[in-house]
Amino acid sequence: MKQAKSNKKKTPAIRVDKRLDKYAEMGLFQDKLDKANEFLRKAGLPKFSK
Amino acid sequence: MKLDKYPVTVSEGSIVYEFISEGKKGKIAKMIVYSKTNIYNTFNLGFGDKCTNTGEINDTIASNNGDTEKVLTTVAFTLYDFTEKFPGAMVLVSGSTSARTRLYQMAIGKNLCLIEPDFEVFGYAENEWQLFERQYNYEAFLVKRKKY
Repeated sequence: MKQAKSNKKKTPAIRVDKRLDKYAEMGLFQDKLDKANEFLRKAGLPKFSK
Repeated sequence: MKLDKYPVTVSEGSIVYEFISEGKKGKIAKMIVYSKTNIYNTFNLGFGDKCTNTGEINDTIASNNGDTEKVLTTVAFTLYDFTEKFPGAMVLVSGSTSARTRLYQMAIGKNLCLIEPDFEVFGYAENEWQLFERQYNYEAFLVKRKKY
């Protein structure tokens, strides 16, 4: 069985749109972020192998 | 096998991504935001539909545009791009509903052989992180790019 290709190749360049930057400051998906923080509060981070 | 995905644009800060889903209900703008959590270098992946009229983002709506697989592949593509720009970043993913989380779980399970060479994948269940296994039901997922 062939092994999957390694991680080494970079993803192709994608177009930058400065108009999207404003969404980073809008507090979007706050409910999900709160839920994420709750998961992390309860369990911390997993033990990564690398 | 190359998976089909939509063209994506990204914010200058590499935190926000946008693409347009095209399907039976027409064009629907989709937005992804990688938000900082309370833990250093750990982000939450938020994903939803953008209303073109109001600009509001909705992550509970089911747009049913008939292109779920292509949409999820596109989201995964942004994860690759984000983790290249933020090496060592950990990304937490969960659905806004349990059905959506289940959808993500099935997508991860289906593509695990493609994902695992590049990412460590954990699922959250019973108040702890577990190495992802297909048969378990998880509340959330956490991934970290493997070093290359």
